[in-house]
Amino acid sequence: MDYPTITTITEMELDLDALIARVTLPSTGAAAIFSGIVRGMTERGNAHETSFLEYEAYQPMAEAKMRQVAKEIRSRWPSVEGIAIVQRIGRLYPQTPTVFIICTAAHRDTGVFDAARYGIDRLKEIVPIWKKEVSPEGEFWVEGEYIPKSGE
Amino acid sequence: MRVKIFFFATVREYVGAKTVELEVPAQTTVAMLRELLVKKYPQMASTQKSIIAAVNSEYAADELLIPLDAEIAFFPPVSGG
Repeated sequence: MDYPTITTITEMELDLDALIARVTLPSTGAAAIFSGIVRGMTERGNAHETSFLEYEAYQPMAEAKMRQVAKEIRSRWPSVEGIAIVQRIGRLYPQTPTVFIICTAAHRDTGVFDAARYGIDRLKEIVPIWKKEVSPEGEFWVEGEYIPKSGE
Repeated sequence: MRVKIFFFATVREYVGAKTVELEVPAQTTVAMLRELLVKKYPQMASTQKSIIAAVNSEYAADELLIPLDAEIAFFPPVSGG
């Protein structure tokens, strides 16, 4: 059976139940789910409030890199069954889910938690998406630190 | 040859456009294109070191020769999630 891989960038509201259904097979007994959420109040580091985040993507490359992340997950955790990597873009307000990484497997002790963790870490390294943070004090682009290698 | 270049996030704001088309000589490398752009858009110089280049949706080294009909993009380190 072919394992489902979903990689999407969308401006639409994310539907978690529908996504889980799409990566659930008859053999699936576990789904590890990571969701990023717009944080309205930041306490760690420079404490501040966030009014909203504005996301943009280089869509064709971002989708290609999401497929690459899924491929990397499969080569590291062969027991992973379904993978969903979905990023919402546009203007997103506090307490809104922005991203879902779902990895499913037959059982929870198959590395499925690590697989989902790897998925979000890797997305933040190589998938070309950016966010601008808008707060009562002004606005600034959030920049990552990772510089991908040629061909990565 | 003509190349189409896309800009994102801070780099898009420095350039003031989402995309530009440029005429460049054959055998142009990514590094040469960077130099050209910095001359045209001096604001790019301040963060030039951390501006990432992609050619045809792949991360590209500065030495890479730009192929014909390439789609090129320059952008800061990504911050999705």
